[in-house]
Amino acid sequence: MLVAGREISARARTKAFRIITGLLVVLAIGVPVAVALWPSEGDDLRSVTLGVSGVNDATQTAITAAATDVIEIEFVDLPADEVESAVADGTVDAAIIADTELWWNTDRDNELGAVVGQAFQQRQLITRAADLAITDSELSALLAPTTLNERFVDEPQPSDDIAIVVAFLGLMSAFVLPQLFGQLTLMSVVEEKSTHVIEVLLGHIRPRTLLIGKIVGLTALAAAQLLVVTVGLVGTLLLTNTADVPSSAWRFVPILVVSIVGGLLLYTTLFALLGSLISRQEDASQVMMPVLVPLMVGYFVGQTAVFGAADTTLIRVLTLFPLTTPMLLPVRVARDAISGWELALAIAVMVVSVAVLIRMAARVYEFALLHTGSRIGWGQLVRLVRSRTFS
Amino acid sequence: MLEVRGLRKRFGDVQALSGIDLTVGRGELIGFLGPNGAGKTTTMRCIVGLLSFDGGSIHWNGSPMSSDVRRSIGYMPQERGLYPRMRVHEHISYVGQLAGLDRATADRRASLWAERVGLDARRDDLIQELSTGNQQRVQLAVALVHEPQLMVLDEPFAGLDPVAVAMLSEVMAEQVDQGASVVFSSHQLDVVQHLARNATIVSGGMTRASGAVDELRGRSPHRYLNIGWQDPDVGWIPDEGERVEGPMGTARFMVPASADAAALIASAAAAGPIVSVSFEPPSLQEVFLAETAPVTQ
Repeated sequence: MLVAGREISARARTKAFRIITGLLVVLAIGVPVAVALWPSEGDDLRSVTLGVSGVNDATQTAITAAATDVIEIEFVDLPADEVESAVADGTVDAAIIADTELWWNTDRDNELGAVVGQAFQQRQLITRAADLAITDSELSALLAPTTLNERFVDEPQPSDDIAIVVAFLGLMSAFVLPQLFGQLTLMSVVEEKSTHVIEVLLGHIRPRTLLIGKIVGLTALAAAQLLVVTVGLVGTLLLTNTADVPSSAWRFVPILVVSIVGGLLLYTTLFALLGSLISRQEDASQVMMPVLVPLMVGYFVGQTAVFGAADTTLIRVLTLFPLTTPMLLPVRVARDAISGWELALAIAVMVVSVAVLIRMAARVYEFALLHTGSRIGWGQLVRLVRSRTFS
Repeated sequence: MLEVRGLRKRFGDVQALSGIDLTVGRGELIGFLGPNGAGKTTTMRCIVGLLSFDGGSIHWNGSPMSSDVRRSIGYMPQERGLYPRMRVHEHISYVGQLAGLDRATADRRASLWAERVGLDARRDDLIQELSTGNQQRVQLAVALVHEPQLMVLDEPFAGLDPVAVAMLSEVMAEQVDQGASVVFSSHQLDVVQHLARNATIVSGGMTRASGAVDELRGRSPHRYLNIGWQDPDVGWIPDEGERVEGPMGTARFMVPASADAAALIASAAAAGPIVSVSFEPPSLQEVFLAETAPVTQ
């Protein structure tokens, strides 16, 4: 815990970490707030100008009522001899003459036509009812709406757009965090070697303890960063009602957490192992490639799963491969394209892999940490570990 | 008491250690001397547990060195081993906690040691902001914060100015007075001769000589007679011996260890009035060169 605490403290107080975390939190809170405050097109009703000439006030009232929540109508009184010119030159969008005619220029506005037609129909009903001596209450009873129960044979699914967004965010998190914190782990190991502080540390603690402390510390820091950003995002979404958080999210979140923590443990361990093989930061790019390959494969295959079919044979196989599991698992869960047994098996394989990898890395760590100078090759490493005579 | 017997260690094709013996008693300060590549650092790393060894034994107080004992050793590596971006007090306390102290004790001891090594005013500075000498002071505090019974210091005086050398020597002497066993390596043999009562000289991975510094010097077949005459042009030379280069204003003669010092001085005085005289064995440096010459050549 002591080593983990130092790692958390050392990394959390770097300017770069603070800036990145701050930016992510600002984005997580700021974007939903901005979306909520920004006036969208749907907030304002379309406005039309309707010319009226010799039209009853009751008809205008009926048109206004029918247009509620559909369009906003501005009435313009016109002399009968100016109606045609007003419609023709666009002064008004349409015109009603003497409760009998509706004039258009060249194109019919179907929405306005439907609103005016509905209002006229209503006016006609009232007039005819009066002619037939039907009282208002009798008319209301006649026109009372009936309740129609609607049922779906195939229940419509929530919008796939949300699933895609959630899957993509999960993929990005599972791709970026292990890479970012893995490289931090590598730099931390190389720093300890290059400054020779490793000799002081190993005088007091075992290499395995140092390795596990480092991995746990940086994984916890990454998880805390993700938690802060996620809480900010979800909290802001709920408070601003910017978007509905689908109920499936609550099933997705635990899988995302398991995937990211698993990915962090796997990749920070691998990066720590790589860091122990070199003595200078300049050599880091040479040794990282073998670990970046599965990360990139997981990311690109994950993208195909986000935007296309999420249960192809390749995706199903790579879901069970521990180094790509962390990226594909959340995507397939978000897309609802994974069976229960696949999910359980993938998590089990990942957990076992973490345990085995940490055990192996601790062994390599023990032999490689005190090596300085040129980079240790993979073949040399295997021989050294087998011979147990490395200095 | 630390007892290293017949320590052997091979790195691939290189036999780094082929029989190192080293004994450090309780309350004893011993200089561990040898040319570059003699096996000093490898031996120290084996003692601390950083390296395994192929043969021989390392015992502490009569028992094989356990991991708990190793964890409690105060170790100062040859290269400065500090986190550049940690603060002085924080670093000392951190290593104290790694060595098994609780947080409060480690903090308290860190404050004490920061003050003792003269860095109290800089306790909140980053290590990377300190000069090389001050970093070495922190390194010393880090090695001592948990009050070890055994201290293994690899080249502790390297790169230090005379003030820091004096401070470090004083601290080491204090620890010895309090009962600690201290072994340190150094190429500054004048400092070793001044500070340590005992020394072990290694070369080619083997122990070549070991014992009290005075005894090692006394084993030499030669002695030096240094005479300052009032008249610097006196041409006296002893019957058995030769004139060698000496300090300005003093004639220096190398004579057999069996020579009668009183008779020699009386003879020299007869040649002219004497203002200063000394009769001494070779310095530790000369003993060192003599012991390691076959290998270094």
